[in-house]
Amino acid sequence: MPGISLEKIEAMAPDQASLVAARKLVKPGGWSGLSSDDAGLVWGECQGSGSSPYRVVISEIDAGYKCTCPSRKFPCKHNLALMWMRAEGKISFQTAQAPDWVQDWVRRRRSSSTRPTADDDEASKPKNLSAVTAQPSEEVDPKADARAAAARDRSRREREEAILAGLDDLDQWLVDQVDAGLAAFPQHAGKSCRAIAQRLVDAKAPGFASALDHLPARIYGLPEHLRATEALEQLGRLHLLAEAYRRQGILNAELRADARREIGWTQSRESLLSEEGALCVSGSWRVVGTVSEVQPDRLRRLETWLWSEAVVDGPRTAVLIDFVPVASGQTRGAYRTGERIGATLVFYPSARPLRALIKDIVSPAQDCDTPLGLPATDLAGAMAEYENALCALPWLSVWPMRFRDGRIRRNGDRIFLCSAGGDGLALPLMPSQAVTVAPLLAMERIDGFGLWDGYALRLSFAQTPLGPWVSE
Amino acid sequence: MNAEELKSRVVPVLLSGTRREPDAKLLTLGHDNKHAALNALSLASQALRFTRPPVPKEFAVESWPHDERHIVPGQMRSKILRLLDRCTDDTARALALALERQKLRPHPFDLPKLDGFVRRYAEQLGPTAQYWAQRDTTAQKSRGYFDADELTVETWIEAPLRKRVKFLKELRRRTPEAGRQLLEKSWTAENPDSRVQLLAALRIELSAEDKPFLESTQKDRAPRVRELARRLLSAVTGAGAENPALAVCMERIKKSKSGVLKKHIALKLELPATVKEHEANHWIREQFAEIALDEFARACECAESDLVDATRKDDNLSFALALMAARDGRFDLLGAVTDEIPDAWGRMSGLNWEDSLLDDAEQRRTWAEALIKPKKWLPAIPFPAWSWLHQQMEGPLPAPIMSEILSSAVWKDQLGEEKKGPSLEIIQAICALCPRELRATVRTQLEPLGLERKDKGTMLLDILDELESLI
Repeated sequence: MPGISLEKIEAMAPDQASLVAARKLVKPGGWSGLSSDDAGLVWGECQGSGSSPYRVVISEIDAGYKCTCPSRKFPCKHNLALMWMRAEGKISFQTAQAPDWVQDWVRRRRSSSTRPTADDDEASKPKNLSAVTAQPSEEVDPKADARAAAARDRSRREREEAILAGLDDLDQWLVDQVDAGLAAFPQHAGKSCRAIAQRLVDAKAPGFASALDHLPARIYGLPEHLRATEALEQLGRLHLLAEAYRRQGILNAELRADARREIGWTQSRESLLSEEGALCVSGSWRVVGTVSEVQPDRLRRLETWLWSEAVVDGPRTAVLIDFVPVASGQTRGAYRTGERIGATLVFYPSARPLRALIKDIVSPAQDCDTPLGLPATDLAGAMAEYENALCALPWLSVWPMRFRDGRIRRNGDRIFLCSAGGDGLALPLMPSQAVTVAPLLAMERIDGFGLWDGYALRLSFAQTPLGPWVSE
Repeated sequence: MNAEELKSRVVPVLLSGTRREPDAKLLTLGHDNKHAALNALSLASQALRFTRPPVPKEFAVESWPHDERHIVPGQMRSKILRLLDRCTDDTARALALALERQKLRPHPFDLPKLDGFVRRYAEQLGPTAQYWAQRDTTAQKSRGYFDADELTVETWIEAPLRKRVKFLKELRRRTPEAGRQLLEKSWTAENPDSRVQLLAALRIELSAEDKPFLESTQKDRAPRVRELARRLLSAVTGAGAENPALAVCMERIKKSKSGVLKKHIALKLELPATVKEHEANHWIREQFAEIALDEFARACECAESDLVDATRKDDNLSFALALMAARDGRFDLLGAVTDEIPDAWGRMSGLNWEDSLLDDAEQRRTWAEALIKPKKWLPAIPFPAWSWLHQQMEGPLPAPIMSEILSSAVWKDQLGEEKKGPSLEIIQAICALCPRELRATVRTQLEPLGLERKDKGTMLLDILDELESLI
């Protein structure tokens, strides 16, 4: 099995100091129990400054890692050192069955190569210490099951009612905003949105609450003359979504799933993976973009955008989404733009399926130099695809755009992606990218991939005569 | 109501507010006012979401320069990024100079990540880097981006200042008049910094023919230019003005005779009582900045060759002599002085030289040979001295000198087992100063040191090796 390359280790290291520190640990002396299960899991214990050694485990299949040290760097030097030892191949690892602490980590992970079936049910159960020590064999009690099912139903009904009540409050709030005029909305957006978002949290509609919490930042990120219009667009979008939720009975299954997910209903990983008829797409995927954003709820949202290299029967673009606490210090996901992964993805049901989970990894992520084979769609074609998607999913917020024959151009301080042929389309790029995309101004033509939110494009990858450009 | 009508009639109402808007009757999209307003909001929102963004009427014309330099190979990009992440100026300078020597440039996509490095060393990194560094400056302040191997009188104006000064100095050496005329032509278009540095080049082959131009510059707006012009005028043969700086210095120099069998002249400099010990070097530099060695010798009524003996017993005056000798290119005399005060380079290093003392590689080599006396060093050479040395050398030291440094007692003492080793700043400076043939020796010497100290230094050596192997 191909392991993690030294180049990838370099790319994953949070800084040079971590690499230097890791290099000091690349010797078997400080380690005990260096082992591998020959299926991608590698682990060992490293004696640090504490009394008990740190438990370190990595997954070579998807570059996952875990260490019990208190470092705030991710991956820490112990993880890097373990990867390094594997990459160099100078130290022998004994083949062994993964110990409990490694298996426990595997169970808790989002995805993996790993055989998640029976054990996953275990992971989904509530955690408590006594269960760990006692582990009694449980006998099935039909009455208890029925009581639990009834409780779940009651809880579900209560939540539905709470959400509908919350949406009514949202309606009233929207009417108040329209009554006062949306031109003035940006001036008090922060306070107003926080108040209604809090109400929607109480109404158990966290998706909606999060969208409202995001709104001020989104508005203030735009030039002043666009803020009121953007507020109008976003508030209208939220009302549309609220109406869709109220009338979900008449929506098709995909659109209903979209509406419920936007409101805040979640579908567990295990449920999606075990769902019969869930859309699965296998093949070779290229990472074409990553996004790392802090949300108002102090979670960091890590997005990995994938593009299927082969023409497949199903979506060719997918996004993997992870959430990590901001306090954990982790700022990047496991994948880097440009890497190639052989995997089967399972998509969440949607009118325009994008969000997916990795079901199986056939070949781990590896650096890849071969140019990305983008379809012969120019910018106008990409825009048309976005508009089609908007027709199918009217509350769509971000849409992946891949294009050929684009050109980066400048007008004052603003940067645009235009068609090289000049077909009268110019998509403004995010102002925060003004410096990083500046070298692309010298390119006559680029092919690329970006995320369009209706106002600005986040260019994440471009193929140019000088090689690939990535926004990371 | 279609999308255009929604945008033209409903959107303004939503923006201004249904409370104040007399056209609220437009909101006839629901069975009551509340639903009408919300439906109008959703519909207008969707209409706007399908509106494509406006296209600017015009775009800026990009004028990225033609750059004949090769881009660094792909496999070196990440190494360079890692090297420049929190390294010292010496490491960055060594890399910039190596790229200049190899006619290479950073990958354009790395320019945003290397912004500080590129701005600082734009002249060494080629036209694309110069364009990048100047992209935010106004057209009036920006210069052209020029990277030709050979400058000519026609292309001189487009080149970076460092190269222009060098070219002007060379031209002055060959044909002083042509040099002055070249400067006269561009004078009014130069900024104050350029005017100071370019005017200083007229020191070379200064003659009475330069007098009219120097007189015209005495009305310059910049005081620094006026002061320099005044000093040059006073130095012009026949200009008539006595060097006032020399007169001030001579008031503080006591001359006596010593010796039993043969009487020697002995000179002693009396520092003002207000100048404290740590300020002495700066004071000496200020006072002797514009005094030529020959006029100093004349004023002291002493042959130039006897000055070293005459100042031997006064470290401060010896240092002043070293400064004058270094500036006037009298490296024979400089070597004799540094035999007496081997820490002269350390003292020079703290003086904030505005411009480089040296013009070409040969001059740097002889200067370094005269100045650096590793065998006579006392312990604890401070880091700024090493850094200054690299700045002046604009590249590695000559191998024989570096070899002496590496085998000197001072260096070996720092590498001793009982010590932690030199600081990472000094290690980086040593690696930056190390010529190719001695890199293996440096690596061997650094081997026992901790990785956190030597990491950047050895990384620099590896990258320099790799860059130089590209040809």
